[in-house]
Amino acid sequence: MPPSRPASGAQITAADVAALYAGANFYSPSVGDTTRVTLIDWLTGLLGETGPLPLLKPESMPATSWCAALCILGSGAALADLPPAGDEFVTAVRTLERTIDRPLAAVYPLAAATVSALFPVIAAAQLGLPLLDCDGMGRAFAQINQTTMFLAGLSVSPAVLTGAAGETFTLTSPNSERADVLSRSALDVLGGWAAFAAYPASIGDTARGASRGNVSRLLEVGRLLLEPMSTDLLVNRLSAVNATRRIARGRIVDLEHLTRPADLSVPTHPTSAVLDEVGGAILRLELRSEIVAAFVDGVLTAAAPDLISLFDVRSGRMAALDSLENGDLLDVLVTPADAVWYSPEGLALVGPSVHHIPLDHPRRR
Amino acid sequence: MTPPAAFSAPTVPLTMSELLRLDPLAKVEVAHRSATDQPVQGVDLANSFARLRRVPPHTLVVLSDEADSGGWSLATSLHLAWERAAAGVVISSRSLSASGSLLAERLDITLLVAERDPVDLALALAAQVSAPGSARALRIARCAEQLADQTAIRGIIAVLARELDPLPVALVAGSTLLAGRAAAVADKPGTQLVKVPVTTATGHLFAELVTRIPAGAGDSGTVESLLALGRTPILAAWAQGRLQQAGRVELERVSFRMLREAAAAPAVLDLPLATGLTEPASWPGELGWQLDGINRAIWLTRSTPTAPPADGEQDEMTQLVHSLWHTVLPNWPLAPDEDGWVSWSTGSTDRPAAMRRAARSLSDLLSRHGLVAGIGGAHPGARGLVRSREEARLTARVATTLAAGSIEWFDQIGVRAALGWLPIHSLEGVAQLCLTDLLAAKDRRALISTVLAVLDNGGSLSVAAGTLGVHRNTVLARLARARELGLTFDQPQVRLAVHTLCFALDTAWGHAAMEPDRTPPGRRELMR
Repeated sequence: MPPSRPASGAQITAADVAALYAGANFYSPSVGDTTRVTLIDWLTGLLGETGPLPLLKPESMPATSWCAALCILGSGAALADLPPAGDEFVTAVRTLERTIDRPLAAVYPLAAATVSALFPVIAAAQLGLPLLDCDGMGRAFAQINQTTMFLAGLSVSPAVLTGAAGETFTLTSPNSERADVLSRSALDVLGGWAAFAAYPASIGDTARGASRGNVSRLLEVGRLLLEPMSTDLLVNRLSAVNATRRIARGRIVDLEHLTRPADLSVPTHPTSAVLDEVGGAILRLELRSEIVAAFVDGVLTAAAPDLISLFDVRSGRMAALDSLENGDLLDVLVTPADAVWYSPEGLALVGPSVHHIPLDHPRRR
Repeated sequence: MTPPAAFSAPTVPLTMSELLRLDPLAKVEVAHRSATDQPVQGVDLANSFARLRRVPPHTLVVLSDEADSGGWSLATSLHLAWERAAAGVVISSRSLSASGSLLAERLDITLLVAERDPVDLALALAAQVSAPGSARALRIARCAEQLADQTAIRGIIAVLARELDPLPVALVAGSTLLAGRAAAVADKPGTQLVKVPVTTATGHLFAELVTRIPAGAGDSGTVESLLALGRTPILAAWAQGRLQQAGRVELERVSFRMLREAAAAPAVLDLPLATGLTEPASWPGELGWQLDGINRAIWLTRSTPTAPPADGEQDEMTQLVHSLWHTVLPNWPLAPDEDGWVSWSTGSTDRPAAMRRAARSLSDLLSRHGLVAGIGGAHPGARGLVRSREEARLTARVATTLAAGSIEWFDQIGVRAALGWLPIHSLEGVAQLCLTDLLAAKDRRALISTVLAVLDNGGSLSVAAGTLGVHRNTVLARLARARELGLTFDQPQVRLAVHTLCFALDTAWGHAAMEPDRTPPGRRELMR
C-alpha cells in the first residue's frame, strides 16, 4: 500500500520517511544502500516522538529571520564505517549560531538528494525547527560551492563541520571555492564524513538564492517510485512531476575505468559505462560521483547539470553506480535541473567543462 | 610502348584500401574497416573537437591531444568524423577501447590505431595523398616484389587477392574457375569486370585473370596493372607444374614397364622379383609403390580402343586422367601403361571390398571421360601384380564392348575375354562386303540386334523377345526380313560367323549410338 500523503503537504510525518529515502535515491544515483535501514528506522522513530515536521515555504516565514543549509559531507561508505552518534547536526547548528551570534529560525537541505536529504529532516526534528522547502542544488553536486545560493552571491562560510567523535571545525573563508578544498582536507581527519552546516543567511536572501520546492518534489518522486507500476508508466509519471524523459534502454557491454584525466577537485575517478542500446546505438555514460554526461553514438545528448539516472529494468529499482555490472539492462532517465543551472554562470560552475568535457551543453546548442 | 594505366590518371585520389597497402598505414592496426572504399582527398591533424567540426569531406583524420584522449572523446571524435564524411580516423593505441571499435563498426567508419607520432604520421600521409601517382607506382613495385617470391599459382592469386582486397580475384579458363574466388566472375549489378589475358609464348590463350570493381571506379588502371603483374609468374608456375607432372608421369610409365620386363625376364626373375620383391629395387619405393603383398590391378582404357590416339593427344589424356584420378583415389598409384593406365591395391590379404569401393567411386569419372576399366585377379608379389595387370587389361578390352564407365572383373568374365580381342572394325568391313543389302536397310540395327538376341539365347524366340522387350511376332517378322536381306543364320556351318558378325556390328553401332561425339567433355574443354 502506498504511504499516505501528509494532510496539508506542509509537513513530513513518519509515514513519509520511506518515500523521502526513495526520492533521495532518485536524485543521486551514487547513493549506496549501506545506511538505508539505520537511517529509515532512526528518522521514523524520531518523527514518531516529535510529531510531524513542518515543511514551510521560505516566503511563509519572516524574511529577516536566519536559516542555514545542512548536509552530510564525505562518503556514504564512511558513514557506514563510522555511524553517527546522533548529535552531530545539533552540535554543528549550535556552533554556527554561536559563530554568527544569532539564532536560526529554520534549516534546509544543502542538496535535497542522497542521505543529505534525510539528515536535515533529522536535524530539524532534533532542533525543533521547521524545514524550508528548498535546497541549493535540486540534486547532488560534488562541491559545497556548487549551489544556487553561491550563484546568487551568498557565501558558504562561516560553515561548521562536526565529526562523529564530537570534534567541530569552524571554517571562514572569503572564497567559497577554497572553502570546499579546506573542508575536504578537514574531512580526512574527522573520519571521512561530517555534519555540515553552512550558508547562514536571512530567510529573505535564502528565498532569492535557493532552489524552491525541491523537498516536496523529492517526496512526490519517492512516492511514485514506491508504487508498483510498469517502467513505462513510471517514466510517464516522473515526466509529469519533474520533466524526466527516457533517452535510451540498453544493456551494459563494457565498463571502462580511468577513461579521462580527473581534476583533483573532483573527488571521484572517472569511469565509463558503455551500453548497447536496444535501438542499435552505442550509449556511453561518463561516471564521476554522478553521471556527468551521456553520449549517444558519440553525440553529447545529456550532461551535468542534467540529472542522469539509471533504472534497472529487471529489478524495477533505481540502479546505484557502484553496483553496475556487464549485462545489466538499464533505462537511462534524464531530468532537467533548475533552469538557473543552464545560465552561462551555472554551466561554468557545474556544466560539462567542470568534468573536462569541452563540448557545448546540449541545451545551449 | 604505352605507359601502364596507373600513370595515365595521376590525379585520381588514392582510396583508403590503397593507402592501407602502403607504408606507413600498412603497419597500423585496423580496428574497423569501412565497407565502402572512400577516396582520400586530404589529411588533417585534428587536435580539438572544434577543428574536427571543420574538416572537409573525404579527409583522413589523424587525432592528437584533446581529440585523442580516449573514452568519450574517441566516441565524440568518431561521430564528428562521421558527420564530416571523413575517409577514416587514426588514433593512438592508448585511446583504443573495445567500445571505440564497437562505435566505429556501428558508424561504419574506418578506425586505425598507429603507434607513430601523430604529427610525423600526418605529414607522411599528406605527402602520399598529394601525389597519388607516385604512391601507386610504389604499390605496384611492392606487389611485383611479392609476386617474384611466389612459385605456385595459388600463391600468386593469394598475393593479388591480398593486394586488391576487398575485390575478388580469380584465374579462369573459359567458364572454369582454376583458382581464386568465384565472386570475381559472378555477374553483380553495379560492378564491372576487369580481365587480363594470360597467353603462352606461342600466343595461345591459357587463361584470364579477372576481378570485379565498382562501376566507374577511378583507379581501374591500377587494378589492371596489378593483375598484369601476375601474368608472367602464372605462366611460369603453370609451366613448372606441367613439367613436374609430365616428369612424374614419364617416370611412372618407365618404372612400370621395367616392372613388366623384369617379371618377363627369367634371369631377373630369380632375383628379388621371384620372391615377391623382398628386397625391392629402389624405384618402386621412390614412387611410393607397394608391391610386397597380394596385388590386384585395375586397368583403365578408352572405351573405343580401335582408334589409337595421336601421341600428343594421349599425353593430354594422361594429364587429365592423372588429375581426375587423384581427386577420387589420391592414395592409389597410377602409371600410364601402353594404351591405358594401370593402378593397383596391395594388402597382406586379398581385399576385393576395397577394390569394389574404388570401382564405385570411379564409375562416374570413367563414364564422363569415355573410359572403361578392367579389374584383374589377386596375386602375390611384383610378378603377381604383372599377371593381375594382364588380366585387368584383358578384362578392360571386354569392357570396351559395353558402355563408357563399365568396370568388369576378370574373375567374372572367363572366356568372354576372347570377345574383347575381336577386330570389331575389320569385321564391320567384312559385313559391308558380305551383307550389302542388309546394311543398306534403314532398320538394319533392329534386325542385327534381333538376330544377335536369338543366337545369344540358343534360338529361343520367346526369350529373345523378352530380352529385346518386343512381341514374339515382331521377332519372327524381323528374322524373316533379315533372311530376305541375305542374313542366313540357321545353317550350322555359318552360324558362328554370323553370330560373330552380328556381335561386332552391334558393338560398333552401340558405341556410335551411345557417344555421338567421341571426345570426352573434359577434353573438349581443354581443346577450346
